Amino acid sequence: MISIENVSFGYSGEKGTLRDITLRIKDGECVLLCGESGCGKTTVTKLINGLIPHFTDGCSLAGKVSAEGLPVDETELYELAKRVGSVFQNPKSQFFNLDSDSELAFGLENQGADPAFIRTRLKETIQNLQLTSLQGRNIFSMSGGEKQLLAFASVYTMNPAVFVLDEPTANLDEDAVTRLGEQIRLLKRQGHTVIIAEHRLWFLSGLIDRAVFLKDGKIARSFTGAQFFSLPERERIGMGLRALTPSSGSLPSALPCGTAEGLSVEGLTCGFGREEPVFRSLSFSAVTGEVLAVCGKNGVGKTTLTRCLCGLTRERAGAVRLSGKLFNRKQRTRAAFCVMQDVNHQLFSDSVMGECLLADPDCTNARAEDVLNLFGLLLFRDKHPMALSGGQKQRLAVATAVLSGKELLIFDEPTSGLDYAHMMEVSSIIRKLAKEGRIVLIVTHDRELIHCACDRVLEL
Amino acid sequence: MNKPSCLHIDPRTGLLLLVMSNILAFIQPSFPLELGWIIFLCLLTALCGCGKAAVKWLLVFGLILCLQFYILPASPKLIATGCSIFANYTRRMLSCAIVGMLMVKRTPLRELIVGLRTWHFPQKLIVAVSVTLRYFPAIREETGYIRDAMKLRNIHGLQKVEALVVPLMISATSTAEELSAAAVTRGIENPAPKTSVVELRLNAADWTCIVTGVLFTAASYLTS
Repeated sequence: MISIENVSFGYSGEKGTLRDITLRIKDGECVLLCGESGCGKTTVTKLINGLIPHFTDGCSLAGKVSAEGLPVDETELYELAKRVGSVFQNPKSQFFNLDSDSELAFGLENQGADPAFIRTRLKETIQNLQLTSLQGRNIFSMSGGEKQLLAFASVYTMNPAVFVLDEPTANLDEDAVTRLGEQIRLLKRQGHTVIIAEHRLWFLSGLIDRAVFLKDGKIARSFTGAQFFSLPERERIGMGLRALTPSSGSLPSALPCGTAEGLSVEGLTCGFGREEPVFRSLSFSAVTGEVLAVCGKNGVGKTTLTRCLCGLTRERAGAVRLSGKLFNRKQRTRAAFCVMQDVNHQLFSDSVMGECLLADPDCTNARAEDVLNLFGLLLFRDKHPMALSGGQKQRLAVATAVLSGKELLIFDEPTSGLDYAHMMEVSSIIRKLAKEGRIVLIVTHDRELIHCACDRVLEL
Repeated sequence: MNKPSCLHIDPRTGLLLLVMSNILAFIQPSFPLELGWIIFLCLLTALCGCGKAAVKWLLVFGLILCLQFYILPASPKLIATGCSIFANYTRRMLSCAIVGMLMVKRTPLRELIVGLRTWHFPQKLIVAVSVTLRYFPAIREETGYIRDAMKLRNIHGLQKVEALVVPLMISATSTAEELSAAAVTRGIENPAPKTSVVELRLNAADWTCIVTGVLFTAASYLTS
């Protein structure tokens, strides 16, 4: 049983992150926390796993929280860890070991459990979660989906009564999301309590007992699982929530190669070293004014294709043409731009304006201001890029590409972890770019985005 | 992580061999002893499944010897003095490099940690070592992304250094924050004595290595 009573909370210097939250979660219940970005759902998960107040400096907390009979604020985190397990959003930063086996045992080893017991528990985990493919692997050879699965499994070995999942699907493809759904089902069957904060909702249909909708730090509405998943479309959009059902309907597939205006990829083969090629004789066109989605499971070569189109890796065979003209690797580096999934990697200057000038040293102030205005960034011209929000950083990266006159823009998973409003924002920017005559490709798992922003699909 | 057919040495044996290699580097044993030690280490490397690396190390050793005995005496004085110091030091440190590489390639991090723990190294030092080793591959991955981004942004020359360091530091801060949140929720602060699934035992091969190492060290000490 988890009880949160009249809790108000603010991070240091702020107030009202949570306002008067009261929530009781029964043993074995599966509860979804949903709402727009910044509504406070992650903060609620931190109340339960003890990161608040133990791991948050200078915050203001009023009210009482208890989990499994333990008062959270008076219990040491390592005691709490035995009963409340947490899986976080970013699969990259949840590991301490370099191999999967060590990681699975980590939690129990910390508790000082008997090695023989740990071994049996590891066997059970691998069997129950069907993880044979993850045994004995190097962490750095694993995909984001596999890492998230491992993070989940390493909490599962500790066998806590409560699982707290904070946006676990933010970086996962559709298969991995489905798999996570199955694992939550298993947890329910075994009587665990599950609290999940999420933007992606469709995979939770039939799994959750209750949905709690937060707005501006307050519990605005509460639903049973069935009520929630039968919310009418308009109401759902009004609440700023992502789709409740997996997007269906299909878009026409990519045009064959040979377009005269736009990108034409002809018989492209790419691979690393002496290994088998990642993909072979790939041909397609992406015309100006249209947006092409590039889909496919993890590992089919989406990243390699992106890097090759941007001239970051050499092709083994085939040709890439822009407006009918052959572009070699170096020329492509100048003509193409990729908006990376982690946009922090591609902002280098100390101000937004500086970022524009770095993109094009000859650019006049007026031109830079025009472009910044177009992307709603003019107000922030003197701010440090790292002080911007995620969406603003993404738009700034796009602005630099526009300023340096790039024709081909590739977005790599632009909507991972975004709520409905932010997804629509990204979608409208992508549309705008296509309308202005740029060639736009989106590499994504996000079916909902594909349906609102793309015209054609290339399945790898 | 290990090929089943290969020899596997205990991390503690590795550490001892490393210490002994260091001592030998300072003692400067006679040539036959030095040659014997290098050959022994290369043999061990080969048995542990790094045959190619062993051959490479032997070639490097041969090359340095050639340089010292045949090429440098015949070259102009300026080059000879400069290079002989370099060659001499490389030759002395070679055995340490061989053991070091073997450990990096063949010892899983957690075995090293368990090894250090059984020797009662302070937990603080162990955590520092493991976090450092854990972070190197992460930096390599990040650097790759940032390099790509720089190529697409047309960043050249000195700008590159700044452009690399700033994003790396920013990502390091957020990684550190997230990593420690994940660590505390998995009970890393638990004061209970830590256990491990891996049980380390020194087997015949380990003892052979240690005894051989001690013999070489003793012989070098007595003959020097």
